[in-house]
This record gives sequence, C-alpha cells and structure tokens, in this order.
Amino acid sequence: MAKTVPADYQCRVRKPDDFDAFWQDVVRQAAIPLDVEVVPDPLRTSDDVEVFEIFYTSLDHVRIACWYCRPTRRAERSPAIMFLPGYQMDPPIPKEWARKGYIALSVAPRGKLRSNRQFNPGYPNLLTHNIVDRHTYAYRGFYVDTWRGIDVLLSRPEVDGTRIGVVGSSQGGGLVITTAAMRPEVRAAAAGVPYLCGFMDAIELTHTYPYEEINDYLRRHPDRRTEVADTLAYFDGINFADRITCPIVVNIGLQDNVCPPETGYALFNRIGAGDKQLYPYDGHGHDGGRARHGAIVDRFFAQHLQSGQVSNR
Amino acid sequence: MNQAPQTFREYWQETLGRLARYPACPELDPVPLRSTAFATLYGVRLTSVGPYRLFGYLSIPTGTGPFPAIYYSPKYQSVLEIIPQGTANLIRSRYIVFSLAGRGQRNADTPYAAMFPGLLTEGIDDAATYVFRGIVADSVRGLEFLSTRRELDPKRVAVVGNDLALITAALTSGATHVVAAPALFYKTADLAAKTQTYPLEEVNDYLRTFPARAEAVRRTLAYYDLLAFAPRVAAETLLMAGAPGTLLGGQALKPLVDAIPGRMTVHESEHSTYRDGLYAEQWIAAQCGIGDLQSILPEHWRD
Repeated sequence: MAKTVPADYQCRVRKPDDFDAFWQDVVRQAAIPLDVEVVPDPLRTSDDVEVFEIFYTSLDHVRIACWYCRPTRRAERSPAIMFLPGYQMDPPIPKEWARKGYIALSVAPRGKLRSNRQFNPGYPNLLTHNIVDRHTYAYRGFYVDTWRGIDVLLSRPEVDGTRIGVVGSSQGGGLVITTAAMRPEVRAAAAGVPYLCGFMDAIELTHTYPYEEINDYLRRHPDRRTEVADTLAYFDGINFADRITCPIVVNIGLQDNVCPPETGYALFNRIGAGDKQLYPYDGHGHDGGRARHGAIVDRFFAQHLQSGQVSNR
Repeated sequence: MNQAPQTFREYWQETLGRLARYPACPELDPVPLRSTAFATLYGVRLTSVGPYRLFGYLSIPTGTGPFPAIYYSPKYQSVLEIIPQGTANLIRSRYIVFSLAGRGQRNADTPYAAMFPGLLTEGIDDAATYVFRGIVADSVRGLEFLSTRRELDPKRVAVVGNDLALITAALTSGATHVVAAPALFYKTADLAAKTQTYPLEEVNDYLRTFPARAEAVRRTLAYYDLLAFAPRVAAETLLMAGAPGTLLGGQALKPLVDAIPGRMTVHESEHSTYRDGLYAEQWIAAQCGIGDLQSILPEHWRD
C-alpha cells in the first residue's frame, strides 16, 4: 500500500508582504471594457441546451474564448456555474451543468485552444513562462482571465448574480481557489485535487509533469531558484486561501501522482471560510475520488445555489 | 454496422500505400531543457501522408541499450505530452519513450489546427477524406520511425493509447504489446446514441445538424471500428475497459476481446487513476522485463 500522508503538512511558502498590493495593481490594470461577443453555436445546441461561444477582453487586451451553455427551459434568472479547466485539458462544453439547471460558462484562459492567438507559450512551457518575473509570469494574465469570467456571467441578463458557483479540478481546482478568493460574487466553490498550491514543496514531493516543468527549469538554471520561489509565492493558491469566505468543498486523492495530497491538506488548512469541508479519498490518485465525489458536489451546489437562500458573506 | 466493409482491406492498403510514398525524413533536435542525467530528449519532425509534417518527443535512456520502448500514439486532445501527466519522469531511464502529435495537435498544427471538440467529426461523411484516415497513417508512421532506432529492443515495444494504439498495432508490424483504452471507435454510432458525453457527443451533434448524412457517417465509421481491426492484432494486449456496467465496460467490450487472436488481458476501471494506472504500469513492466518497478513509479504510488 502506498505511503500515508500527514494531514497537518505545512508548505514552506510564505506570503510576500506586498501580496495584496501586487494583485490590487493587477486588478486595476485589468479594469478595461469586456467587449463581450456572443456567438450562437447551432452545431452544439440541442433541444435541452443552447450553446454559445463567448469572447471577451482580459488583461493586456488578450481576447479570451469560452463556452456558454444555458438550459432551454429556465427561470428568468438562473444560478450559474463557472467551470475552470485542467492544465492540459481542452476546455469542455459544459452541457452537463446546463442539464442540471445552471447557466454554465467554461473558460479557456490565455494559451488554451481558441485563446492562443495573442499568447501561446505552449505545453509544456506555460508553467515556467517568465517564471522569474511576477509582472510578466504566465499565470498573471491566466488568473485574471478566470476572474473576468465572473464579470461575463454578471453581464448576462439570464444570470442571477447572487447565485454564482465555481468548480474545477487539478489546475481547475487551483483556479477555483484564486477565483473564490478574489471575487466576492462567488457564493459556493468546489475545488478538486488543487494544482498551483505549494509549488516549491510539490516539485520535491513528486517528479511528474506538469510540476516537473519547474524541476526541468531549475536543473537548467539552478542559480535562479530564489527568483523562481519569489515569483511563485505571488501565485500560490495557499497564499490566496485566507481570503475565501464562501462555502467550499475540496477533494483530494491520497495517492495523487500529479498534485501531491500534502499540498491539498496545506491548502485546506489555510482556507478562511468557516463553512469548508475536505474529502480525502484513500485509494485514489488524481481522479480525487471523482466517481463518488460528483454527487457530493451536485448536492453542495444545489444547496447553496438552487435553494434560493444564499449564504451571507 | 459493426461488420467490416467489403473494401476494408483495400481502404487501409491504399492508405498505407500512400504513406509509403512519402519517406519519413526525420529531423531530430536535442531539447536540453527536458534532458536529464538519465535520459536525453529530442524533438522529432517527420513526414506522414499528405504530405504532412508531424512532431513528436523522443526520449532515449542514458547507457547502452537495447532498451524496451513505449510508443504513445496520438491522443484525443490538443496538447502533446512528453510522457503522460502523472507518469514518473524516471520512466524515461528505463524505456525509450516516443510520443507523437497527430496532424492538428499542438506542434503539428500547421497548416491544420484541430479543434477539440470537433476533430472526431471532421469530414466524417466521406471515408475517403475523413481526417482520421490521415491520423491513423500518422500513428503508423510514428511506430515505423521508432522501429528504426538502433537503441531499440524490437522484442519489447509497447504501443499505449486509445483506439489508435490498437489500430496501429493491427496495421503495421513492430508492436509486441498494446495497452489500449477504447474511447472513439468501438461501435461508435451505436454508443453515441446512448450517451450525451463528449467525445461521442460530437457524433450526436453532427447527426442532429445533418440527419441526412447518418448513413454516410455509419459507412465511414465502419472502416474504423475496432471489431474490424481486431483479427489483425497479434501483439499481446491489455485492454483498459471502462468501469463495470458502463458503455465501454468489460461486458460491452466482450465482442472485441473475443475477436482479438493474440493473448489478451482485460482490466475494468476501478474508478481510480491510481489503481488503474498502477495496474497498467505493472503490466507493461512485467511484459518488458523491468524488475525494479518501484523505482520508476510516482512517489505516491510506491510501497
């Protein structure tokens, strides 16, 4: 049997003194018109779900694509779910969320297929693109792209802006953390096997891609270790976690070979929300117990977004 | 339609004949960033039918071979991985690893950039020009290229992937073992009608939009059905089935299992990437004579 994982694992990452000021400045730079373009997609539309492509402008004027689904039969204003993608995943069309009664947005942050015309560092490479400079590091814009997804939802007349949830696994789980931390409009969050948390611990706990990209970089540039760690501290989900106040569920796999469960524990322990629940799945890897956990996530969002009684923040 | 079309053999002979007209003309360039003390990585460009220039990653272990090899046939996603996400990098110390981007995937997306979803139905109403005819040829070309490497032990070559792994092993020699997880081309039209999940939902989207093309789609898919390829698979095979009772579970795949003449193992998913992944790693290692598997497993999978 695989080794046990300490639930009180402490990641070494420390929050920079100017962490809040850094992100405040980035958010200020991103305060530009969204210029939302909505394009119906008749090929993907079915009797029960209408499908659209949406494009919007994000930080540095990069155009971002996403899939947008809405149930054909819906209330005048419906709850919404924003789905955030994994590292290598092509953002899916979130029809399944629409079939559950949500307006659903699936964002393709910069560099992903359909959002890669102006920014395309590639895979592998995204994780270390400009990693010695927090002001141009790949995830600076990538994070903002997902936060702006909330603005897209708020701009839609059929979305009830008081009932927005975010969901994702792996990189999507990490993005759920940063989005829930930075956007108070998020009323419920479900983060699976979160990536982008405890970077510098993760690269020693595991030697698998995508984290291995950082080890590749440091093997080639060992003199840059301090700069790399300094940059990543600004992007570490653990340093965002204390800002989260909405109800949140987190699931991890105790044999996760991609995102070490140690970092999942460390993240969960730092989440600021009072209403938080961790689901560790023994005997599971990067799936994070998805087959069992899916029903838990469904109930969680139904409770917080569909009952009509949203939590006070 | 799950029986092979009468022109099945001719269709694929013609495809392979076209491929043979284009030499691979491989170019290898070292990738120092991804090379380690235990393995050197190369970016590989090579030509497939079309002609179309492809891209792959070739990792060669340090030391004197011959080495066993793992060939990761093109996946159904835009990203090309050096090794699959979650695989221990140290696997590259024991195996030659070659991963190939089929036409349309990243690094092989000029002039054709595939969309996901979208690729599965690209030209699906005409078997002669269906995009997967080229992608199958790409996958075959990849195995042909790998087979030319002098470091290779030709008695230990595993092709790992989705349906393309099985199809590749059926169409060309060189694979001694196959690990295949069917997802695209097993009774596609029938199974698509029973699901709303992508990638098979692409077929539903297409047929909803173009109902008059349903018969043409079935005709095309018949050339790609794994049941038609199965009698040609001689390599020892591990079939990674879906969980029991699912569309691609062990029971559903039984006709395929029965049709493959080579030695066959079926693993039904336990809904755990850990348990399923460990099973596959152990199977490949056992077939390839890797004695100390523990040292090349991900840290969280080791005893």
